[in-house]
Amino acid sequence: MVDTAVRRRTALLEVEDLAVHFGGVKAVDGITLQMRPGHIYGVLGPNGSGKSTLLGAVTRLTPLTRGRVLLEGQDYTRVPARKVHRMGIARTFQTVRLLDDRSVRDNILLGQDTLARRARRTTGARVDEVMERVGVREVAQLRPDELSYGMQRRVEFARAIIGSPRLLLLDEPTAGMNTAERAEIGTLMKQLRDEGVTQFIVEHDVQMMVDTCDHLFAMNVGRLIAQGEPLEVVRHPAVQEAYVGKGAARGA
Amino acid sequence: MQNLLNAATLGSIYLLFALGMALVWGTIGILNFAHGATFMFSAFVGHLVTRDTELPFVAVVLIAVLVGAAIAALIQLLAFRPILKRSKNQHAAEMRILIGGIGVAAIPLALAQHVTRSSPFGFRSSYDAEVIQFLGLRLTTTAAVVIVAGLAIGIGLTVWVRRSRQGLALRAIGVDAETAAGMGVNRTVLAFGTMATAGALAGLAGALLTFQLGAIAPETGDQLLIKAFAVIVLGGLGSMAGTVIGAYVLAGAETLVLHLNYGTWVDAVSFGLIFLILLARPQGLFGRKEVRRT
Amino acid sequence: MSDWYSMNVVLIQTTLTTFLLALSIQVPLRFGVFSFAGVGAFGIGGYTGVIAMVHLEWTTWPSVALGTLLAGVVVFGLGLLVQRLNGLYMGMATIAFTLIISVVAVNGGDLTGGAGGLYGALGDIYTGHIVAIAAVVVAVAVWTEAKGMGRRIDTVRDDPELAGAIGIDVAKYRLASFAISGLIGGLAGAITTLLRSTITPAEVNFHLVIVALTAIVVGGARSWVGALIGAVVFVWLPTVISFVAEWEKVVYGLIVAVAAIYLPNGVLGVVKDVVHRVRTRDERARLAVLQEKG
Repeated sequence: MVDTAVRRRTALLEVEDLAVHFGGVKAVDGITLQMRPGHIYGVLGPNGSGKSTLLGAVTRLTPLTRGRVLLEGQDYTRVPARKVHRMGIARTFQTVRLLDDRSVRDNILLGQDTLARRARRTTGARVDEVMERVGVREVAQLRPDELSYGMQRRVEFARAIIGSPRLLLLDEPTAGMNTAERAEIGTLMKQLRDEGVTQFIVEHDVQMMVDTCDHLFAMNVGRLIAQGEPLEVVRHPAVQEAYVGKGAARGA
Repeated sequence: MQNLLNAATLGSIYLLFALGMALVWGTIGILNFAHGATFMFSAFVGHLVTRDTELPFVAVVLIAVLVGAAIAALIQLLAFRPILKRSKNQHAAEMRILIGGIGVAAIPLALAQHVTRSSPFGFRSSYDAEVIQFLGLRLTTTAAVVIVAGLAIGIGLTVWVRRSRQGLALRAIGVDAETAAGMGVNRTVLAFGTMATAGALAGLAGALLTFQLGAIAPETGDQLLIKAFAVIVLGGLGSMAGTVIGAYVLAGAETLVLHLNYGTWVDAVSFGLIFLILLARPQGLFGRKEVRRT
Repeated sequence: MSDWYSMNVVLIQTTLTTFLLALSIQVPLRFGVFSFAGVGAFGIGGYTGVIAMVHLEWTTWPSVALGTLLAGVVVFGLGLLVQRLNGLYMGMATIAFTLIISVVAVNGGDLTGGAGGLYGALGDIYTGHIVAIAAVVVAVAVWTEAKGMGRRIDTVRDDPELAGAIGIDVAKYRLASFAISGLIGGLAGAITTLLRSTITPAEVNFHLVIVALTAIVVGGARSWVGALIGAVVFVWLPTVISFVAEWEKVVYGLIVAVAAIYLPNGVLGVVKDVVHRVRTRDERARLAVLQEKG
């Protein structure tokens, strides 16, 4: 057992015995895990395994029935959802959530609007840089409904990273993208990781997770059933069993 | 007591009017601000028709019912359905339907005001109300019809929505429109049918109230709108039984206030009820819908 | 020029006060708050202003200030009470609040002059004053529409959950919208009333909601410019087209209905769309080329 103090020093995010119950449904049923800074973590699991709920609990959008969440050793279980962003945690959503009446540029700027002045670099330069990285600079003035689904997802991604978050939570970020776009996002994620942004990704595309993640968690019916090196987790018997009938190594 | 009978009559009118509104709001989610105009204009057409020809009670009522159904169906066709089709989601549509209804409501009102020069109008009918006396109480035949109609239709509709296939379909739409459509419920037909029924009820209420009072003013319809809100909020959205009970409770409360000689505060009863209930118990007595933001 | 001005001074002043009234409902709408309390604020501001001048013998501007502040405080309090209600229910609660004000005014005895209202409070107000005040209010509106604040308010309206996720305190913003709407509505009411020198309960009822909605719906609900366009249209249409004056209400109702159905963002919305299409012509062309290659 690693000494708690040591663990605290090295962990960025800790989840302790987390449970989220909706009425009678145990969406998350007691999960404990840690994430160290500078890595990409992924969560694997069939539909209904509680992956998105876990994400929601970590961002405090979903109330916790039991357990704790800590960021760099600080317990933020009681912190209201709106203050989580300022702590350096950013996320994207399963469905694209952009403002239809605003330009791509404005939508991305939203990602840093509420951060302290010091944290906001020179607005213009920063947003151009982020748009360039994500590949939406060309459509800066267009509105979301004028873009393809894949491009919309990239705009959401940009919104999440513009505030230089410490922890980036991505809920199916490449859903609806073609192979080339997926690869681009994967590369971008690795670049961000090398720059120190810890990432936690929920994805259905198993191949992408194996290629991108440093460490995988596998969930089923709200519980953690395996974790570790991506390839090992994917071949783990419990994980294979959870996917039986749904196509175990279904990838891109 | 006499007051109870008065309250029962008043309550029945409120009920017939509010039922239409509750039906539409609770199932297809449309808050129809033009319901009052439908009520008034149906009676107004009855007035126009009987200007030259005296007609019997049933004929006038029938005309009002048919006109009401027609107006409501027309509004659904020309205003609400287009709005729903052009809106991205239910939430965006709500405001537009609300405003659209307010706009549409102004048209029959202005027409009626223009023709009657803003004075009350009634029917010329071969029907003449008689007074029944029993136990020292006075009851006009009109009031008796109103009470019976109110209770019968109110209870009948409640049972129908609960037991029948169409009632089930309506409730399904109210809970989750997408799933209902996926299960074969024809939303369009049901929506038109519901609006038409609501309009018919409004027409019925309009004719009956006009017979009861002798005449109504062009503005009466809009005044009833707020009362209908109070009834529905009190009873709870999504519950027909709640609407029935709410109508009589409101009528009772207003009659009481009148009886205690606070006449000028009568309107405050409905306004105050809406306010208090939304704050204290937003789902009303029997309501099922979510009223608070999560 | 000055001839035209002196002939139309009342219309010009009315345009400005109608603009402020419209803003008092538009501002909360932009925050996604369905509040009609601005009209109630109008009533509170109007009555307080008159009461201050008649009963307390204050001069014009302190009376206006008192009316504005009191309305702001009351509506903010209302906001605290109703903030958890969703969409239509909040709309209803705020309409009920507005109507209660009218009933309170009728029953206010000597203080409010009862059903007859109060008179004799002629304010020392010139058009220049109103223009200056409107300019200040516009400055505030511009601040809420510009850059970051504008984006954040749009998010609070269109996707409150997303707003929370990116760090916006949604509840605080919504409460602020109540306070702003109360202040602007109270200001509009105080100025309008002291210009006319009289106020009656009949003037501060639901029809003001329709006036405000007409302006917003026609002009555009997203920006103060839309409210101004709407106010101009509403006030000047009868003079420009005399036929309209006679069938005024029908035409307004029709305009509101048509706008609600076909022009969700009003006249301004149409203009903005055109501007957007022109500005992004190149980008969209390049995108089309890119998409064809990919």
